Parts: sequence; C-alpha cells; structure tokens
Amino acid sequence: MKQSTTLRLVLASALCSLALPASAQDDWPSQPLRVFVGFPAGSSPDVLARVVTEKLSERLGQPVVIENRPGAGGVIGIQQMLVSAGDGHTFGTTINGPMTTSQRMMDDTGFDVAEDIAPVTLLATSPLVLAVASDSGIEDLEGFIAAAGAEPDALSYGSVGQGSGAHLTAELFAAEAGLSMLHIPFTSYAEVTTSIIGGEIDAGFMAPSAALSFVEAGTMNVLGITSSEPFGQAPDVPLIAGSAGLPEDFRAELWNAFIAPADTDEAIIARLNTEITDILEDPGVQEQMLGMGWQVAPGTPESMAERIAVDTEMWGAVIDRVEAQ
Amino acid sequence: MQRDWPEVWGGLILAIVGIGAALYAGQNYDLGTLRQMGPGFFPVAMGLALSGFGLFIALPAFWRGGEGAQFDGISLVLVLAAVLVFGLALPRLGLVGASFVTVLIATLPAQRRGWLWRGVLALSITLVTVLVFHLGLRMTLPLWPRLS
Amino acid sequence: MSTWESLLLGLSFALQPQILIYCVLGVLLGSFVGVLPGIGAMAAISLLLPLTFYMSPEAALIMLAGVYYGAQYGGAVASILLRLPGTPQSAVTTLDGYPLTQQGRAGLALFTAMISSFTGAMIGIVVLVVLAGWLSALATRFGAADYAMMMIFGLVAASTIGATRPVKGFAMIALGVLLGCIGTDVNSGAQRFTFGQAELLDGLNLVALAMGLFGVAEVIANIRNPERQKTAARISMRSLLPTRDDLRRIPLPILRGGALGSFFGALPGTGSTLSAFLAYATERRLSRQPERFGKGAIEGVAGPEAGNNAASITAFTPTLTLGIPGDPIMALMLGALIIHGIQPGPMMLEARPEMFWGLVASFAIGNLLLILLNLPLIGIWIAMLRIPFNYLYPAIIVFLCLGVYSVRGLTFDIVLVAGIGLAGYLMTLAKLSPALLLLGFVLGPLIETNLRRALLVARGDPMVFLERPISAGFVFAIVVLLLFPLWRLWRRKA
Repeated sequence: MKQSTTLRLVLASALCSLALPASAQDDWPSQPLRVFVGFPAGSSPDVLARVVTEKLSERLGQPVVIENRPGAGGVIGIQQMLVSAGDGHTFGTTINGPMTTSQRMMDDTGFDVAEDIAPVTLLATSPLVLAVASDSGIEDLEGFIAAAGAEPDALSYGSVGQGSGAHLTAELFAAEAGLSMLHIPFTSYAEVTTSIIGGEIDAGFMAPSAALSFVEAGTMNVLGITSSEPFGQAPDVPLIAGSAGLPEDFRAELWNAFIAPADTDEAIIARLNTEITDILEDPGVQEQMLGMGWQVAPGTPESMAERIAVDTEMWGAVIDRVEAQ
Repeated sequence: MQRDWPEVWGGLILAIVGIGAALYAGQNYDLGTLRQMGPGFFPVAMGLALSGFGLFIALPAFWRGGEGAQFDGISLVLVLAAVLVFGLALPRLGLVGASFVTVLIATLPAQRRGWLWRGVLALSITLVTVLVFHLGLRMTLPLWPRLS
Repeated sequence: MSTWESLLLGLSFALQPQILIYCVLGVLLGSFVGVLPGIGAMAAISLLLPLTFYMSPEAALIMLAGVYYGAQYGGAVASILLRLPGTPQSAVTTLDGYPLTQQGRAGLALFTAMISSFTGAMIGIVVLVVLAGWLSALATRFGAADYAMMMIFGLVAASTIGATRPVKGFAMIALGVLLGCIGTDVNSGAQRFTFGQAELLDGLNLVALAMGLFGVAEVIANIRNPERQKTAARISMRSLLPTRDDLRRIPLPILRGGALGSFFGALPGTGSTLSAFLAYATERRLSRQPERFGKGAIEGVAGPEAGNNAASITAFTPTLTLGIPGDPIMALMLGALIIHGIQPGPMMLEARPEMFWGLVASFAIGNLLLILLNLPLIGIWIAMLRIPFNYLYPAIIVFLCLGVYSVRGLTFDIVLVAGIGLAGYLMTLAKLSPALLLLGFVLGPLIETNLRRALLVARGDPMVFLERPISAGFVFAIVVLLLFPLWRLWRRKA
C-alpha cells in the first residue's frame, strides 16, 4: 500500500511537471479554499496554519478559510476534511499524531492514512526539551540519567497525555538510556510545568517555548533537546543525540503538515506544494514560526510520505514497548 | 391515592442508568485498586452510587402522595424533532433552509396558529439568524441548500 | 515599582485612544454575544483572532479580555430571562434569577446581576493589584492532592443547592460525574463510553449539555403552559426597582461572592464555576430563611454573579504570569499573544509591565463601560419579555443549536442536544436540578484525574492527602461539612 502511494506520487509529480501550467487546472482555485485544523483557534497548530494560509491566500488570489474542528488529538479535523472533500478546494493541516500513532491509540479513526490522505508538504517541526526544576540540583543529562537510574521509577515525568508526543518521546529516551521512569499524564504543557516547579513531579519533555521562559526566570533547567541539529529558538541547549551515552541518531520531533484528501487532483497538490514551500522560504515567516517554537521544514509530498512511514514505524515500536510493560 | 409518579419514574430511570453504566464499565474497563485506580473505578463507583440514590428517590415516592406532572408529549416530540432536523439539515440545506424548516416544525405545537403565521415567523427568524450568525458573527456555514 | 506607579502606568497606557477603542469594541461585542444562548466568549474570540494579527499585542489582549468578561454580563441576561445558561456559572444564576422573572421581577434580578457583576469585578481588580505576586504563586503551590480535595469540598458544599431534597442533589451530582467519565481517561488513555465515536473522545460538549438540560427542556415545558404566557402581563415599571428590603439584602452577598471569586479565580481550571456555586451555597447557609432560595431569593443572584466576575478577573494572573490558561478561552488569548511572539510566563511582569498593568487598568475601564451600557439596556430586555412566547421559542431553538455548533463546528453536537433535551425534560418533570448535574460534570473529571494523579505521584500512599497542608485543610473542611448536619440533629434531640 505504501509502495502504491509513493508510486502514485512519483507519477503525479512527473505528470505535473509536464502538464503545468497549461492544464485544465488554470482556473484553480475558482472558489475560496477551506483548510480544516483539528485544534481550537489560538492553539499552536492553528496559529501555524494561519501564518501559512494568510500568505497562501495572497498568492492564490482567493480567500483561505480556516475551519477549526478540534477533538481527539486532531483526528476529528481530518475526518471532517474527508467528509467535506470532493471539490478540490478542501484541505487540512495536521500534527504528526493522527498521521502516525492515532491508528494505534484509537479504536477507529475512521480513515486510513495511506489510502485517504495525500501529503502536500511538511510545514514545520518542533523538538522537545527535557526540563527539570532548577532546585532539583540536576544540571545535565548525565546527572539526570544517574538520578533516574538509581532505582526503577526513582523519577517521575509528566506528559500531555497517554500516547502523546511528550509521553512517547520520554519512553523512547528511557529505553535508549536504559531507564524506567514513572509516567504521570497531564493534559497540557502548562500543567506539566506548574507541577515540575511545584516539585510534585521531577521532569518532563516539553515544547521549548513552554519551558524557556521558566529557564529565564531561573526556576527550570533544560538538560537536552531531541532534534538532530541545534534548534534556533534554543541554540544553547545541548543535543540529546550522542551525549550521555545516547545514540547519535536519536531524534524525536513533532511536526505539522499540510494535507489534502487522497482524490485531490495531482496538479493541485503540486501547485500547493510549490506555493507553500515558497512561503516557508520567506525569512519573515521563518522568524515568526521560530518565535512560536516551530522550525520550518518545507519538502516534497514524497519526502513527507517517507517521514510518515519512518515515524509510524519508530513510534509503533515505542508503543509496543509501553504496552508490553 | 395519587402517587408521586414523576419521582417514582425519575428515580427508577436514574437507578437503571446507574446500574447499566456500572455493569458496562465493570466489564470493559480495568477497575484497579484503591491505591492505583484503573479507568473503571470511577464509573463503577458513580454508577452504583447513582442507582442507590435513584432507588432512594423512587421508593419513598411510591408510598407518598404527590401531584402528577403535566406531560406534554406533543411538544416534547416536535421540539426534539426540530433540534434533530436542524442538526441533520444544516450541512445539506444550509443555514437558510435549516432555519426555515426547523422553525416550521418547532411552531407545530403552538396552539391556535395558522400556516400563514408559521410561514411568516419562519421567514423572519431565518432572516434574523442570517443577519446575526452569517453577517454578524461570520460563522463559516453554508448559507443556501446544496443543489447537487 | 510601587503599586501606584504600576497603576498609573497601566491607566496612562489603557487610556490611549488607540487602546481604548479596542477595549470598548471588546466589551460591546462580549456583552452582545453573551446574551446569545450558548455562543459566549469562545465563538466571539475565535472570530476576532484573525483580526488581532494586525493589531499590537497589547490592544489585542485588551480587546479579547473585554469580550471575555463582557460575555459574563450578557450571560446573566439569558440565564435570568430565559433560563438559558451557556456556562455552569450562569446556571447558578438561573436558580433564583429565573424564578424572579416568573414572578414578574426580572428587572430587579437583572439590576442586581449587573451591580453584583460590576462590584465583583472591582473587588477582583483590587485583589489582583494588591496581591498580584501572591496570586501568581498560588497556582504552583497547589498539587494534585490539593486540587482533588478542594474540588471534593466544592461538590460537598454545593451538593444540596437547587434540590428539593438532598438525595436528589446527590443523584444529580453522581449523574454529572458519570457523564463526565465519557471520553478519554487522562490517566490510562482508555476510551470510556465512546462506542467508537471519535466525537465523544474529548467528552460531551458542555454547551450542548447546558443547552439541552436548560434551554430545550424549558421550551418544551412552556409551549402549552398557560402560566408562561402570563409572565409578560405581570411586569410593571414598579417591579423594576429594588425595594428597600432588596437593597439591604444585596451588599454582603456581593462582598462575600467577590472575595470567594477572587481567590478561586487565581486557581486555573474551575475558578468561575467553583466560586459561583460556593457563593450560592454560602449565602444559603448564612441565610436565616434558606427555604427562600430557589424561589427567587435575590442573594442567590448577587453572590454568584459577584463571584464569577471577580474570578474572571483574577483568572488572568496564572494565565499571564505562569502561562497557565485556566480555561479554553484563556488558552485562545494566549494564542493571540504567541502569534505576536510573546510567550506569557514568569518574566511577563518585568518584561512587559505596560501590557500587564494596561490590561488591569482596562478591566476597570471596561467594567465601568459595561455597567453604563447594561443598566439602560435592562428596559429593553424587559420589553423583550413582552414578546409572546410563541414568537420567541422557535428562535430560541435555532439560536441554541447554532450556539452549540459554534463550539467546535460539529453537527454531531446538535443531534446530541436532542437526546439531552429529552433527559432534561424528564428531569424537569421529576423536579431534578440540572445545575448540580453540570457541577458534577465539570468537577467530576478533574476530581478523578487529580485523585488518581496524587496517588500515582505518591506511589500509592493515601497519606498524601493528609500530609500536604492545603489538602489536609480541605479534608478537615469536608469532615466538618459532613458532620455539621449530624451535630445539628443531635443538638435538636438533646
């Protein structure tokens, strides 16, 4: 199934390069675009989508309307996009969860990633940082691993929910470092940070933007970051990859992507990909996204399909391990 | 003697809901222990508590006098139908169509009113709805019925 | 910087014309949408969010905040006149506000609600200014055990309000908690009572629940009820004005409600709801004639309205100084700041004093505007009651459906309202109080999550609830509350 998607995408892009610009798609877009976002207005994925669609609207000469359909970790948004699909003007943005792990976590998501969704491009990625309270006395990754390794469940960590990126990242980290930590699920990073500062839990993997203002205020230490390269918003935070005995290829990132229903015309997808990757090259946009904790990550539909496959496998293995415990 | 039937029935329904929820949760979710509660603990405990409270409401009411409540089945069915129709029609008939049809159904239980009155009321409420929600609040909704 | 300097800085900032205009815009819109059943601040703020891209972050925040507290004023109108509360805290206002309307004293209820809201907000502002630092630290002192016990205390304290007999109150709370179990369990990730519906994974839509239990049920009960048609005839101009007796009853409940609201508002999560319910429970307990409550006691409007408005002011402290949004609307406002590259957090007060103090000053200006706007409007709202119910209720149905839809844009939720409306009507017949159901629904999941989280953190040791001082205090308060009726019974016998 994965192969056929890839093949279709390769064919699609080949076709587009031949067909554009003198194809029947000349009159696209002929009406306002609708972009479904599976998170509430004002949330991080929503704000990201708004930054992109605002520029997209200028470039396409049509209004782009954001439709917030929050729920089930972003799954509702995709479901609603698929229900409304068919006119070539309905799209969506999504985070990695519904595209990689939701199928494992939920009874029935109501869609099949490979069959129902056509990737357009990744928009941006965000690493997570490992944070502890500054009065914990833990200063670096070695210190953390030593403290956590003293006995099983010696340290507890907070996440934003069972199966969330923060939870799975922590479990991946624990597995690579040979630790066992006690998982305490919360519902938002704000709750996790309060709980860490209040001394109730010991640590947490969280979005850099959620931790940095507390680091500045001197109440939190960040010990490491999960990206494979230094992150623009927090360039001084050391990479977890390759330090304290962790593997060189350690990488755990959340991402945000632009998607289309699978039956969308290939030429339209190619056009959108071109426009959006252009938008993401804009330094102003890059800076704005970095301020919100996102690093732009433009790419082709093929590279996005590949990322979905890689992440699905990686997180699938982590979920297997968690379930086996 | 007139029994307090609304309370008898109300209490019994609560008891049944409680028992049902407790049984379903007990069968499907892990109870855990008091120290480490599972996802089934709260629903089972609350279900059992609810059924107990329900019986406590129903049983004394059975031997106690009370005024019967006025059950208005026609209004009940038609109002619920109006809500249901609005929900189902909104994506297909748009804001205008759904509001119009819903008001027509909702006005059916109103007594001593003619069809002209219903029609005019439906038109005016639809107009206000479009003004407030479409033009005022800019809710993204289809406005007109979908023809295809 | 001294308190006075801060305030002056704030005032001079908020009074700039280009800021003031957004404050006015915000409170006007908030008060307008608050009246619409179920729409509330959330929909209005989502609508305004794209506009804030083009505004300064300070202006954006002040405008959105205006919508937030302005909607509280409007919410009281719908609750008092039509028994259409969009939030649990407005549901408390219906308990005595709606009976007052039925007695032809809607004017008094609205007047009281407005005065209480205004005074409550002012109390909140004073507390915020004097105790900003202490309030912002409050949230980090509360752990899972403390939250769990505080909310259990809230449930126990409020468990009998609005109910004709205690057991009915308990049953409604239990049902509410049970309904709150629907959706994904935070601790285990288990999907409870969802029956494969993704729409249920985040639980029942609160607005759908409130609209079904109150609005739909009330409409059904009134369509063929001749009493309802007479309400309009009972209104006279004299009934608009409070009597000397009414005026004597209002001030203390307002002060107590304001104090409760200021405290609970600073705790993220359920500040408004808890303070409204607790203010009501307090007034009923302190009253020499508790039997008047639920039948049009003016204290039952004054206390909760002062409480939820005070809470809506102090709720901004954790949001801005810790970056912890207390509710989804606060989260939305944070989003508006984050778009501008501002990350609210502990450095906010130092890094952007003009934003924080400007916002505080705008609260005072905004609330002043709201009371000036809303007092004259009372006459118009009363006039609306003269519209025959047959003309009004079909519009109520359409409006409340759209209000429910506006929360997350799913027609599933509208269909749900029909089912909840059926339950609500049956509850009306059996005289069961939907307000307590809403309280159980809101607090239940938080109690469960925090109780289990506290035990998890303590590695299963239940002593954690007695070892933490805050938690132990609430445990003590719960024991006292539970033993109090027994003690009274014993004394009566002796």
